[in-house]
Amino acid sequence: MGVLKKTTGLVGMAVAPNPHHTLGALYGKILRTLQKMPESSVYRKYTEQIVKERAAVLKQTKDAYEIETKINCGQAEELIIQAENELNLARKMLNWKPWEPLVAKPPKSQWDWPPTKA
Amino acid sequence: MSFFLRRTLGAGRNLGRAVLNNNQYSGLQRVATKTDQATPQAETRPTVAKFDPLQKSQLVDFGKYVAECLPKYVQKVQITAGNELEVLIPPEGVIPVLQFLKDHHSAQFASLVDIGGMDVPSRQYRFEIIYNLLSLRYNARIRVKTYTDELTPIDSACEIFKAANWYEREIWDMFGVFFANHPDLRRILTDYGFEGHPFRKDFPLSGYVELRYDDEQKRVVVEPLELAQEFRRFELSAPWEQFPNFRANPAAEEVVNKSEDQPKKE
Repeated sequence: MGVLKKTTGLVGMAVAPNPHHTLGALYGKILRTLQKMPESSVYRKYTEQIVKERAAVLKQTKDAYEIETKINCGQAEELIIQAENELNLARKMLNWKPWEPLVAKPPKSQWDWPPTKA
Repeated sequence: MSFFLRRTLGAGRNLGRAVLNNNQYSGLQRVATKTDQATPQAETRPTVAKFDPLQKSQLVDFGKYVAECLPKYVQKVQITAGNELEVLIPPEGVIPVLQFLKDHHSAQFASLVDIGGMDVPSRQYRFEIIYNLLSLRYNARIRVKTYTDELTPIDSACEIFKAANWYEREIWDMFGVFFANHPDLRRILTDYGFEGHPFRKDFPLSGYVELRYDDEQKRVVVEPLELAQEFRRFELSAPWEQFPNFRANPAAEEVVNKSEDQPKKE
């Protein structure tokens, strides 16, 4: 066990007491939510890939500092926030079903610029 | 000997450049569309933005990634001005796309920089709503565009970005686009009792009313605007074409376009 972390240096963000446990629980929840999506969903594929990578790092080590350097996406507290956001998003995605085909085609010349006289 | 070699080499290089330049000017339209591909030399002028191929390839990859993850909502992905990624979506996709860009691990566009509007009266959906996002984690920006008309409400982004509150009030005030589920949709910039939406193209430059202090009534009065000049019909369209070079060339490069019937591969 290294020196106890006193602050994250970011306003309003307290030091997490046990980031390894919290992150593990969150990644488990995300993966279980993703299980409910169809296999063909690309969002599911990419998110599973990212989360599994990070979960693998968690398995290798328990030290928060080592986790941070290996994942390389900010401090452990920030990783927790990212995981919470992803979980929130995955749950909403179940309702939105973004893997379905395009919901509405744009009207003709909607995205043409400059709008020429034709 | 070596001196000579260098000189001949230099001459060869000059010659090559002249040939290249000739190629450029012979096809002016090609230059207008594919500037980055047609100019292999590095930009040396200090006041001109340098082209960064790495950044460009990253933007293209991320654009494809977004389009793949959300095939239901992304109509088109394009890059404008060399390094600005734009995602074009139908109005139904505002909430899912913004939420995805904010919360996904490899996006993290947590900061809403601005919401803008645009009015093109000739289109079926005349208003464009434009969201500019910034990812502090990856130092990247993205622009999300959608469309609507005077009557169709668009979903408010307030529940995703707190910053959207005032921006949406501004759009409502200036363009008259209605935002559904907005907590507090009021005027924000115009005066009390103002009528109309000043950024619409059909709003007259002088406005509809004028204010003046009336000495007899001892107060400010609002009166309908009276123009001293009689009504004239101005012919505003020029007889020549404004941007002939851009007739066939769109200003933006397509990355993904799913709105056309045949999905086009790059």
